[in-house]
Amino acid sequence: MSDIRLENLTKRFGSFTAIENMNLHIRDGEFLALLGPSGCGKSTTMNIIAGMEKPTEGKVHFGDREVSRVPMGKRGVGFVFQNYAIFTHMTVRQNLEYGLRMNGLPAEERKRKANEMASFMELTSMLEKPTAGLSVNILQRIAIGRSAVLEPAIFLLDEPLSNVDAAFRSVMRYELKQLQRRFKQTMVYVTHDQLEAMTMADRIAVMDQGVLQQIGTPLEVYNNPANVFVANFIGAPGMNLLEGSLVSEGDRLFVNFAELQQKIELPESLATATQAVKSRDVVFGFRPEEVELDTQPGGLTLPATFLERIGARTILHLGKDVCEVKAVFENDVEVMLDSQVAFRPAMGSERLFEAASGKRIS
Amino acid sequence: MSNVDDTAKPVASGTVEKTDSHFHAYGKNRLGLYLTLPAQILVLFIALFPLLMQLYISLTDWTPLTGVRWPQAYQLWSGLANYADLLDDDRFYGALWRTFFIIIVAVPIEFFLGLAMALLFMDEFPAKRLFYSALLVPMMIVPAVAGYMFFLLFQSGGPINQLLSLALGTKVAISWLSDPDLALAAVIISDIWQWTPLMFLILLAGLLGVPSEQLKAATLLGASPWQRFLTILLPKIKAIMVIALAIRTIELFKIFDTLYIMTAGGPGVATETISVFIFKITTQELVWGYVAALALLILFTLSVIAGLAMYFLQRKKREVAA
Amino acid sequence: MASIVFENVTKAFGDTLAVDNVSFEIKDNEFFCFFGPPLSGKTTILRLMLGLDSPDSGDIYIDGQKVTQLGAAERNMAMVFQNLALFPHMTALDNIRFPLVERRIPEPQIRAKVEEASDKLHIKHILHKPPAQLSGGERQRVAIARALVRDPVAYLMDDPISALDARLREETRVELKRIQREIGHTLVYVTHDQEEAMSVADRMAILKDGHVEQIGTPIEIYDQPANSYVAALLGAPRINLFNVEEHGKTWTAGDGLLDLQSENVPLGTKRIGLRPENLKIRDRSDKDLGEPAQVVSVEPLGGFTVVSVARKDNANEVFRAMLRGQPQIDVGTEVALGWDPSSMLFFDEGDRAISI
Repeated sequence: MSDIRLENLTKRFGSFTAIENMNLHIRDGEFLALLGPSGCGKSTTMNIIAGMEKPTEGKVHFGDREVSRVPMGKRGVGFVFQNYAIFTHMTVRQNLEYGLRMNGLPAEERKRKANEMASFMELTSMLEKPTAGLSVNILQRIAIGRSAVLEPAIFLLDEPLSNVDAAFRSVMRYELKQLQRRFKQTMVYVTHDQLEAMTMADRIAVMDQGVLQQIGTPLEVYNNPANVFVANFIGAPGMNLLEGSLVSEGDRLFVNFAELQQKIELPESLATATQAVKSRDVVFGFRPEEVELDTQPGGLTLPATFLERIGARTILHLGKDVCEVKAVFENDVEVMLDSQVAFRPAMGSERLFEAASGKRIS
Repeated sequence: MSNVDDTAKPVASGTVEKTDSHFHAYGKNRLGLYLTLPAQILVLFIALFPLLMQLYISLTDWTPLTGVRWPQAYQLWSGLANYADLLDDDRFYGALWRTFFIIIVAVPIEFFLGLAMALLFMDEFPAKRLFYSALLVPMMIVPAVAGYMFFLLFQSGGPINQLLSLALGTKVAISWLSDPDLALAAVIISDIWQWTPLMFLILLAGLLGVPSEQLKAATLLGASPWQRFLTILLPKIKAIMVIALAIRTIELFKIFDTLYIMTAGGPGVATETISVFIFKITTQELVWGYVAALALLILFTLSVIAGLAMYFLQRKKREVAA
Repeated sequence: MASIVFENVTKAFGDTLAVDNVSFEIKDNEFFCFFGPPLSGKTTILRLMLGLDSPDSGDIYIDGQKVTQLGAAERNMAMVFQNLALFPHMTALDNIRFPLVERRIPEPQIRAKVEEASDKLHIKHILHKPPAQLSGGERQRVAIARALVRDPVAYLMDDPISALDARLREETRVELKRIQREIGHTLVYVTHDQEEAMSVADRMAILKDGHVEQIGTPIEIYDQPANSYVAALLGAPRINLFNVEEHGKTWTAGDGLLDLQSENVPLGTKRIGLRPENLKIRDRSDKDLGEPAQVVSVEPLGGFTVVSVARKDNANEVFRAMLRGQPQIDVGTEVALGWDPSSMLFFDEGDRAISI
């Protein structure tokens, strides 16, 4: 059994805290994406799991075994480096067989296993070639195959797709999934690309500034982000977030946007939820995909500032800076730039966050 | 870094596209060759002239004392007699053998010591910079000074014997520099002390050039430190090892200053190397034709060593390119 | 301020044709994008444009003037580098002044130029800050201001934001487009990200192995690709492409799942293309005849869901459909496929699009 448990993990480099008191349970056989902007501590977390760095505080468990003090060579994890770290003085076959050779497998068996992995990774035709001068796409396959051939129970990937071209990415995504289906490893995948995380992961752990923000299935983090950071980071574009304050009129509750001099009524469920919080300053959020153009009273009005058409999708930008709202449509929208556009979030898609802490109110 | 907005620099983009720098470089090289041709000819002449002069003199019995100016040395023409004498000279063979002996003993020791230290210096440890500086000190000392230092150290009442006495608890009075066998050992020890740092420096540069990810990857794939050394480090620094060995071999072939100050080639001819031999017969016996023949022979030997090293490096380069 | 024209330009490096008989016209004040896979010739075209390389044959014109033989210095184009290359130890102001100070331009003139550029780019309030304290968009503006003070005829950018995080890239590209509209210069842009290309470009050129495959507005190219290569290059998920299967007098595609009988399939059609967003999926009812299809995978991505469907028995082809929202569909469900006939693309034997 190879689940991974990180217990009160903290990592400091001098005065800089890379990871702060992180608790994370990665289940056996799970595909987990560690997602966050650069410098959020995701790579450090990965390096600690692999044993390349020692935690300042806290423990790492693989199954029942505490591995915090186990050196990296003895942890038995597969690791794919961002730059692949291919042994350039060896052939493709020698790369694939490297781990097997180091572990003392007889030549016959090495050959068989390498052949098998080569055919799985579609490397058979170039097995005997030197690796110097091969394309990035192929180097990446070698890097993955080289680790996978040892059938590690834990497989760590450090942004393996960031260097390959877009067309190849989707192929690779599919193959990584296939690989996991075949060997049933626990896979941890570091990325800054939320789309990549959404497509591949069973669960996503979102990190920012060394702190784990939320962990959940792709739809959980998309639909119910724990705070404004997650709300904005997940989704393309991220969630629209408008700062405002709660105002009640009779028994109805509104969010008033001072800068816009407009307000919007909160649905009953959210209005009830606000009773639990003291502060009246909130952030009102809704997904760009959940914006309806609607001239009925009760919505918001902003000028159209920009229009992007990306293939099937059209992204309409409304307002500017802190009052910016984006709306995504599946087909062309008839909107003139600079004209005033009336819209409202779709029923039930509204989310509310505390302004001070950023936490979601629910 | 000036003028970054300017148009004059190609961009290193994420997607590597083939640029023509290679072809341009080729064309420019040609032009460069034409432009530097006069200078090249001059340099060639400067290098070639002494060589031809030496060849000429080596075929005569000319010395400055004969009263003949050197261009007229043909008057003392002796043909290949100098070479024949040389090949018959036991003192020459002795010097040659001693030189090779010093090389065969000192270079491997320097190499392995340097490599071991370089491997040690790949990891972090406390006061690494201090050790690093300390290690380079011997290399920076003027060889003549080093020779004098070792001359003092190896006196029979000198510090080395005193240390040995302390360590062994009995009085030790080894006459290092006057015992024919030990004198050579003393010379070798001094060379190792002075030149292991250079080995260390060259090999460390090579080792630090090996991408650290590859080493980590190997570790994660289960390679032990020894296996990592054999399968990753060694193949990657092979070329630099050859260079280091070649440099030290060629340098050591010419060993002179330290040695001459320590022992002056003695006792007797016990530490007489090729360079000391040449120095002695030039200054004491004044047989210039003979010396010229000897110098050419040494040049030939060194060229063979350098040539072998070059051949090895070229083959390595081709392997990588293939 | 300038139009750029390439006329039958060819450039070879050794045996490889990096740019093969390429012609195009970039109009004045246009945001023009070159898009293609690696080694398709994008960077070489930029280098030819800048004057870093000269073509083997063909001519290059800037504003109607032949510049083929002119060097980089005489063409006055500005290259904005990847990652913007601002000096971290200088304030925004000093960064912008830098190229002018380097050229020993008199101080009053420098002030006027910096004033003008920072006005145009709305960065007066941040001029005192070092780059580290600026947002991605602000840095972009500073970098462009630094190029702007030199009055270049056009800006060239080679994948300028590819090193940024995905989220930052989305914001920066919009910012870039806004800036270009504000200052109104010709901007030539190279990228390998199809979404970025479609988002920013007024017009774009699709490249393959040094050829131009198609030139047009992003919408034109997306909706009417010239061939199946172009069709597959734009759009994510990728377009569904199927060979037409002939069975006597009936035509199908995609393992028989697409019945083309009722379609107006043009003569000579060998392949059809259907974008994932145009493929509809509904429950199979008793009325549905033909081959049963089955859901093989469901990828919920929040705003939309990608559903892959294949024939239930003997599947060779996988259909990918992009559905809006988060519909509840389970893997293994039997479904029927639908599509809007007008959204189907047809390709002939040479994979060229057949227009109807």
